[in-house]
Parts: sequence; C-alpha cells; structure tokens
Amino acid sequence: MSSLQALQQRMAQAVLADKPLQLDDIRGDTSADAQARLSIYRHGYRARLRDALASEFPGLRCLASRRFNSLLDRYIEAHPSTHYNIRWHGAGLAAFLDYAHPWLQRRELADMARLDWAISTAFDAADEACVAPADLASIPPERWASLSLQPQINLQILMLSCNADAFRRAADQSGPRPHLRRFKHPRHLLVWRQALAVRYRWITDDERQLLGSAARGETVATLCDRLAGLSDAEQAMPRLATLLHGWLEAGLIQSWSLDG
Amino acid sequence: MHISARLPQLGYGLGLRVEYYQELLEHPQGVEWLEIVSENYMVPGGLPLVWLERFRERFPLAMHGVSMSIGSTDPLDEGYLSRLAALACRIEPAWISDHLCWTGVQGVNLHDLMPLPYTEEALAHVVERVKQVQDRLGRRILLENVSSYVSFADAQLTEWEFLAAVAERGDCLILLDINNIYVSAKNHGFAPLRYLDGIPAHRVQQFHLAGHEQGEALIIDTHDAPVASPVWELYAEAVRRFGAVSTMIERDDHMPPLAELLAELAQARALAEPLLRNAA
Repeated sequence: MSSLQALQQRMAQAVLADKPLQLDDIRGDTSADAQARLSIYRHGYRARLRDALASEFPGLRCLASRRFNSLLDRYIEAHPSTHYNIRWHGAGLAAFLDYAHPWLQRRELADMARLDWAISTAFDAADEACVAPADLASIPPERWASLSLQPQINLQILMLSCNADAFRRAADQSGPRPHLRRFKHPRHLLVWRQALAVRYRWITDDERQLLGSAARGETVATLCDRLAGLSDAEQAMPRLATLLHGWLEAGLIQSWSLDG
Repeated sequence: MHISARLPQLGYGLGLRVEYYQELLEHPQGVEWLEIVSENYMVPGGLPLVWLERFRERFPLAMHGVSMSIGSTDPLDEGYLSRLAALACRIEPAWISDHLCWTGVQGVNLHDLMPLPYTEEALAHVVERVKQVQDRLGRRILLENVSSYVSFADAQLTEWEFLAAVAERGDCLILLDINNIYVSAKNHGFAPLRYLDGIPAHRVQQFHLAGHEQGEALIIDTHDAPVASPVWELYAEAVRRFGAVSTMIERDDHMPPLAELLAELAQARALAEPLLRNAA
C-alpha cells in the first residue's frame, strides 16, 4: 500500500468515526489544533448527507416528525455513503428502516421512505414514448384482441401498509400533517411519470395483475381472460376497457403491437 | 516562452441553479455564460435535461463536477467518467472542470473536497490520473484549487507549487477559485499573493468568486454569502496577473434574489475591465 493510500484510509476512517480520532498526519497550529481542523470534515460529511436525504424524503420528514433527524443520523452512522452522487445514498434508507431498531416496529416509516424514493427516481428516469388514445384509433375492432400494450419501463408498484401518499402530498403542498391510517391489508400504489410530472395513485389488485400481464407482452384477449378469472366474467370486458382507457389517458403505455 | 493552453474566454457568468431557471431565461442581463454542476444533469431523463436544453440554446455552458476524485487512490470510476462523457457529448460544453482533491477511498464517498498531501508521490499519482481522464474525455480538463482546513506533516511542496506542477506535467488547465485561495491562506497562514505568483498564467482558464463564513477559529468555505472585500481585492490582483479570464459567481446556499448575484457579476466586470484596458 502506498503512503498516499494509507493516509487517505486513515483520514476517511477519522471522518467516518463516531468519535474524534487523533491523526498524527495533520498539522495543528495556534489558530486551531489538528482535531479541530479534522472535525470540520467530520461535521461536513454528516451535515451534507443529512441535507441531501432531507430533500429526498419530504414525506418521511412529515411522518417521522421530530424523530426524523435522529433517524437520518442513525442511518448515516450505520451506512457509509458509496455513490458519487450524494442523493443516491437515499437508495438504502427504506431497507434500513425495515430492519433497524426501533423503526422496524413502525412499518409505515419504511413504506414512506419507499414512496419518497420511488418519486425521486421517477423524477429523472429515462424519457419514454407515450401512446395516446388517438394513436390506437385506426385499429379495427376485430384486431383489438391481438393488441399488446407495453407499459412504461419506469413505472413502479409499491405495496404499502398505510396512507403514505397523504403524507407526501401534505409535504409537497406544505399542508397540515394528516392522520396516519394503517391498512388491515397492504394496498398497491402506482408511481410513474407522465411527461415531466411524477404521479401516483392507488390501484386495485386486478389492475396490478393486469399491468404485470401487459408488461409480459400478453394480448388484450389474454388480459380479458385473466380478468374474467379474477372476478365476474360478464364484467371483464367493460372493466378491461375502463382500465385500458385509464392507462392510455395517464400516459402509462409506451408502445403497442398487433400479433399476427 | 510558454504557448498558452487556454481555451476561448467566455466573459462573466453564473452558476446555474434551480432557483434561477425561469428568471435567467427571461432576464439574463449581463450573464454571458453558465456553469452547471455536472452531476445534477448526469441523469437518464426528465425535467433536469429539459431545462438544460433550454439553457444550452441561449448560453455557452461549462461543466463543473464535484465527484471525479482525481486524487483518490481508488481506481477512477469508469461509470462516472462514462456518464460525464455522455453529458459532454450531449451539451458540448466549453470545458469540463473538477477539483484538485479526493472525495473518497475504499469505495466510501465522503462527499467533500478532501485536500491532498502536497508530496511528490501525490503529485505523480494525480498527474497520471489527469492524463487518463483527459485521454478518456478527449479534451483537457480544468482542476480547481479547493479550500482546506488541514495540512499534512509530510508536505514537500506548497499548494501552489503542487497545483502548478499538476497543470504543467498533466497538461491540464486551472480553475482558480479566488475565494478558496483566501480561505486557505487564512486557515494555513500563507500570503495569498505568493499563491498567485506561483501559478502559471498560461494555464489559468477560469476564476470562481464566492463567499465564505468566519468560523470560531477557521474560515469556512460555505458559498452562501456575498463575495467578501478581501476576495474582491485578491480578484483584482489575479486579473492583473492573468489578464482576461472567464469569471463566474458561485453561490450554493442561502440563495439571494437573482438581482444580487447579477450585481456581484457587474461588480466583477467593473473591477476587471479597467484593469484589462490599462494592461492592453
């Protein structure tokens, strides 16, 4: 190991350490001793990560309230940052809240972090084409059964146990903090970007399953069969028409193709 | 005699920040070019790149990064360089800059501009990496002097000797941050004019001007305040020594109304232009 490498490792260790370390490599003087000088970097590391994470997780800040800063501090201490873009340190926060005491007992915190992060990544996800209802107008009715609609690659479906969406909206609109509602059964929230705006809405279980089927390239005929198997067969066709129209209006579909 | 390595001068510019997007497009008075933070636009798509295209149509752009970690002993991050190169290909910046520092080691990122020990070993290491990066990007890069709060017991060179040697041996350009010189001079007790005297003029491509904060014992480079009087004085000295150099105001926090930054930019112009005319 070169002496430069050894020095950088000692210095990084001193910055990451939870207590100030003595580093003989650093010169102190009458204006500030070595430890005071090093403490600027120790403090700066934590402050920058805290600021970056706070701006990525406004919903979590709203939900965790006065516990937010200590939550971030614990995460920062437990997980050194590894990505060159400071914002990406947020990628592991939800998983941390899934297993770390005492937050694992409050499932809603991990849920909220998951939604904040999904919104953050949707914001600058790759641009995708968007199929509008008019684009499909020329397809003759008898060909619709063989139509496949490909959803946006970047859409995300989150399984949440509480009304995390309400906290995120409150944070974005500087509105009052909503009441927390824990669901008896987890629900699914769809997060996607329509043109440049990030959107999210709850979806039913049949819609979630059909989005998955569409992503696998299944045709409208197959989607209709699946829907018939999930609920009232007679209602499958109108229900599917409603869902497809909603997907197209919401900009969820990036391409289409006809079998055969 | 040195043949200048400098690129064309862009005049007086600002750092592009989200807070000023709309206003800068509508009322760009006096702003001749913009410097972007590269990492903010090294993204797959969405709004950041839409705004960037709008600015690219109106202004010359320079890319300024904070994550190259040119001085780290970790291998260069090929993923980072590849995204940086892709962004450069997309917007064709006037130049690409980063900092003469290291930002992490052993895979951990400290998200700070960590100073290097000014040793022959570090110099050889950085020069080699500058060459690698320039080969990868197909162009000369600019390296900026950082503010620092520590210096190392085994230093063999002054900071300015180190910076000058990196630029000459690595054949790169210099982004001279006037505020950083002042901050480090105060924190380490050297004379800022000696720093300027040690910098090769033909390598100086850009100036940064920014504000700082007086801490308890040291000056902290916060970029959250107006340019301080001693920094303006040092800027005048830099203009006398290095001539017409692209200058920008760098503000990262406590963002004031745009008019305040435009006034600072006008102050830079009013200070530099008479000096340049007298020198002509």
